[in-house]
Amino acid sequence: MTTVGAVVRAALRGRRAALWRLAGWSVAESLPAAAAGLLTARAVDDGFLAGRPLAGLLWLALLGGAVLVGAYGTARAYALLGDVVEPFRDELLHRVVAAAVGQATAAGGRADDAVVARLTHQVELVRDTWAGLLMVIRGFLFAAGAALIGLVSLAAPVALVVAVPVLAGLGLFVVALPAMVARQRQYVLADERLGRVAVTAVSGHRDVVASGARDRTADWVGEQVDAQARVERRLATMAATRALSLAVGGWLPVLAVLLSARWLVEQGLGPGAVLGALIYVVRGVQPALHTLVQGVAAGGLRFAVTLDRLLRTSAHLDAVHERPVATVTAPRASTATPALSLRGVTFRYGPCAAPVLDGFDLDVPDGDHLAIVGASGIGKSTLANLVAGILHPQAGRVHLGGLPVAGASPAELARRRVLIPQEAYVFTAPVRDNLAYLRPDVPQEVLERAVARLGLGGLVRRLGGYDATLRPADLSAGERQQVALLRAWLSPARLVILDEATCHLDPPTEARLERAFAERPGTLVVIAHRVSSALRARRVLLLDGASALLDDHEGLLERSATYRELVGYWTDGPERVRSSPTPVRSGRRPDGSAHPSWP
Amino acid sequence: MTPADRLLLRAVRAAGWWTPALLVVTLAGVAAELALPAVLGRAVDAAVGSAPTSGPYGWLPVVAGLVAVIVVTGALRDYGTGVAAARSTASLRHLLVRHVFALDPRRAARHPVGELVGRLVGQVADAGQAAPTAVLAVTATVPPLGSLVALTLIDPWLGLTFVAGLVILGVLLRTFVADASAAVAGYQQAQGLLAGRLVEALAGARTIAAAGTADREVDRILAPVDALREHGARTWSVLARAAARGAVVSPLLQLAVVAVGGLALAAGRLTPGELLAAVQYAALGAGLGTVVSTLNKLVRARAGCRRATDVLGEPVRRYGTRALPAGPGELRLCGVTVRSDDGRPLLDRVDLHVPGGALLAVVGPSGSGKSLLAAVAGRLRDPDEGEVRLDGVPLPELTHTALHTAVGYGFERPVLVGATVREAVGHGRDPVPTARAAAIHDFVERLPVRYDTELADVAMSGGERQRLGLARAMRADRLLILDDALSSLDTVTAYRVGQALTAAADRRTRVVVGYRVPTAAAADLVVWLDGGRVRAVGPHLLLWADPAYRAVFRS
Repeated sequence: MTTVGAVVRAALRGRRAALWRLAGWSVAESLPAAAAGLLTARAVDDGFLAGRPLAGLLWLALLGGAVLVGAYGTARAYALLGDVVEPFRDELLHRVVAAAVGQATAAGGRADDAVVARLTHQVELVRDTWAGLLMVIRGFLFAAGAALIGLVSLAAPVALVVAVPVLAGLGLFVVALPAMVARQRQYVLADERLGRVAVTAVSGHRDVVASGARDRTADWVGEQVDAQARVERRLATMAATRALSLAVGGWLPVLAVLLSARWLVEQGLGPGAVLGALIYVVRGVQPALHTLVQGVAAGGLRFAVTLDRLLRTSAHLDAVHERPVATVTAPRASTATPALSLRGVTFRYGPCAAPVLDGFDLDVPDGDHLAIVGASGIGKSTLANLVAGILHPQAGRVHLGGLPVAGASPAELARRRVLIPQEAYVFTAPVRDNLAYLRPDVPQEVLERAVARLGLGGLVRRLGGYDATLRPADLSAGERQQVALLRAWLSPARLVILDEATCHLDPPTEARLERAFAERPGTLVVIAHRVSSALRARRVLLLDGASALLDDHEGLLERSATYRELVGYWTDGPERVRSSPTPVRSGRRPDGSAHPSWP
Repeated sequence: MTPADRLLLRAVRAAGWWTPALLVVTLAGVAAELALPAVLGRAVDAAVGSAPTSGPYGWLPVVAGLVAVIVVTGALRDYGTGVAAARSTASLRHLLVRHVFALDPRRAARHPVGELVGRLVGQVADAGQAAPTAVLAVTATVPPLGSLVALTLIDPWLGLTFVAGLVILGVLLRTFVADASAAVAGYQQAQGLLAGRLVEALAGARTIAAAGTADREVDRILAPVDALREHGARTWSVLARAAARGAVVSPLLQLAVVAVGGLALAAGRLTPGELLAAVQYAALGAGLGTVVSTLNKLVRARAGCRRATDVLGEPVRRYGTRALPAGPGELRLCGVTVRSDDGRPLLDRVDLHVPGGALLAVVGPSGSGKSLLAAVAGRLRDPDEGEVRLDGVPLPELTHTALHTAVGYGFERPVLVGATVREAVGHGRDPVPTARAAAIHDFVERLPVRYDTELADVAMSGGERQRLGLARAMRADRLLILDDALSSLDTVTAYRVGQALTAAADRRTRVVVGYRVPTAAAADLVVWLDGGRVRAVGPHLLLWADPAYRAVFRS
């Protein structure tokens, strides 16, 4: 897994030129820090105390000039920060987006609700704290360095007396850093856990009230509140470490300079020099160290922890992409090969969950028109996903046109079949891009013919033509489905799977489009939302949990009470539940079989 | 005093003795900070011999003592700030959580989940800063004002220089005040565009997965990055101007004080040590800018309190004081009317009598008020007019315990709440018997640690979730209300559960909302709703003669 350290090192290495420029302007920025003590000492010793106030003022004017140069340096350094930070942010965005799309589209994957928060909030947090960290560390190095250089030029031994405690304070802080990061991480985790529990509890408010679990649930959330508060208090104890580092690195030098003041005077240095040395310490080294310690303790820790979380959550992607892709042998399609064939397919969502499909067999010949019906939640969409190769069965094989689905690349699968789900995908882009999504190189006249054939001319005109930008919000759910259906129509794949893809269309439009698809060369599998879809199909597959039945509409009406119930035909009047249990399958093969003697 | 201010006070009080302790510690630290420059000046004078003193190092212990005070109070202040905030935040969160779950579900549903959680997790944390912020608000002006006084005491000209310099620099640099809002707005817009595209793509994940276009989608989503970078660069240059301004004001102010102090030094009115003190006071005084950020914090804490009072202001649901007398579970609705928010009647003067132990099926076309009837029957929702009695007792007069021991609800889309399956199903009681009745016991037995499996780790289908919800409801001992709670079950499972529900041994009154014929056929009584009114009540076989009744099951 990529670590924070590796990512940071790579980010710094990749931006070497920008960092050098940043260093250059930082030198300019630290000019007043380097000159402050020296010039003040001169102004006092050679000017004010020597009875030449004008000379003193001149020295100070020089310092004023240094301040202006330094401010210019500050401005340039901050402006340059964008060159270092923005590309880093872009890399993170790419990582997060690629991981989110990869996870959502991976086998058995699902869209992660937290990803938008990650994209906006966490990436921004990393961007801001990264910039802050760069500025704080850079600021300390240059300001403290400048002050020490100034001290050396003023009185070299004093520089040594100052440098030793500063380094000691810094060392203390660095030693305590891992513990601080660990506590900060606990804090972030406690916060996230509280958020998750709160979301669960509040989403279930109706259920909590209805089952009288008001107090127990409040206690459950309350436990997380207390756990979070405990971690927050533990985090606060790190204040002691910060104080110790500051005491050693920031205050010991003050006492050291005071102690050596008499010695300095004896060496022939004036009071101004002592003044200058103290100014270097209290106005140079000390504030720089203070900013460093506070900055790293606040933003720096958040940077490390948040970046670590981002890298962890976007790491799944690598695992998904490393799935070995088997080479696919050349298609040997013939009329005898079924368009779709499932053998002994077993699928369950969790290792312990009850199977959705168990030893399931199905053959759909080329050119067939099959409707799949069943109660909601029974596994129709799961079957569609298995056929399309979006899900992989735990046992059994799925073949499309005689070729195995397992191991085929997404692009290869897309050439063989097209799946249009209920939730039609349209996106903010030109109308043409939306329509030609599955065949980007489609000639304009072919596109126009298809639009005319499916009766979408009016919709395209209303949206402003093929080059106008489509905004998903402008389309009704039914219009979105029509766009998605046109896409499937244009796709080069021979097998079309419509998974309730027409549920938002009014019945006449649905009938028109379904008929058009039935006339399209190739095989059509429709997961039916309305009975009418089953009536139009040549064959109907009924899924009923434990059993599956395959027949035509009339045959199923005759054979299955469940089917009659689903269809809403009740020719034999009211019927008691207990008098009509559906036959329970006994063996591995479903009762009635989804694998009857069809060609 | 507004409710938000009262809550702010409450948050301060919740920090306990940390608030006065913080005040004392902060003031002690500020006093030491203000004393140190003067003492340091004396020490320098003593060391370089520019002032007659007891000895060259006589002031050193005083300096060391002040430094110790500053260091220790600093550490205590930081720690106290953290602890006080943790205590206040936890106290406010407990208050808010209790209140949220005491609300009527209908009232709670008016706040989106994300918004409620945002208040609980995010905004309350701002409000929790109340105690440290209040202390800061009291003490923030002391260092700058104290510095000004100290400067004036050292030499009146120094104080004058400081004030004049502050004003002149402020006016001069006013022109440099850059407006970051345009750049930030552009940045946020690009960010929103990117997030919007990602949301679009995630909603279409199945299409993208099937089409194998994930890489293409990543490029499309990231297209606004160029605009983002452009606006980002602008935000940095705006920040650069602000930083440069900061890098000029404080140093130039100190320089002006040193210049005037230097002249006083030349005139013999000042010692070198006093000049050093003056420089430090000038730096402390320039911290006047932090007062503004303190105010900002106070505003945020108060805003957090206001967001919390929005929720705390909602009246909680009241329970009565009566227990339920022994009885068969007879349910009676008298003139029950429920109105929509705009006053339209959704249930219109419904009268209904369900004998104890009966199985009542509620049927009707969608929108006819079936779910509302179910909600009113067990006090999931109070009717706007009319009364619901269980064994003669109006539901609002029952205690919390009495009501929820007697009544259970099964939903079409139950939300399971609790750390483990055991907790989510049993809510403190043994979940096994009801899980068996809901035909979900076998499923739970196959989980890694059975009933103690963490709920978040359980992958389940809609039907399995529904049955767990059903198991949770089944512990009710007098009235069981199932609102489409079997819809995701396949026929065989529905049959098994149905058998448990319709068994003669079950003496509970059962209200079942559903559109399946078998449900109605198995019921003792069917209430047929149409447009919020009762169209007919009777056994299924009698009603079946009416073609309009049969049509209900065909939609």
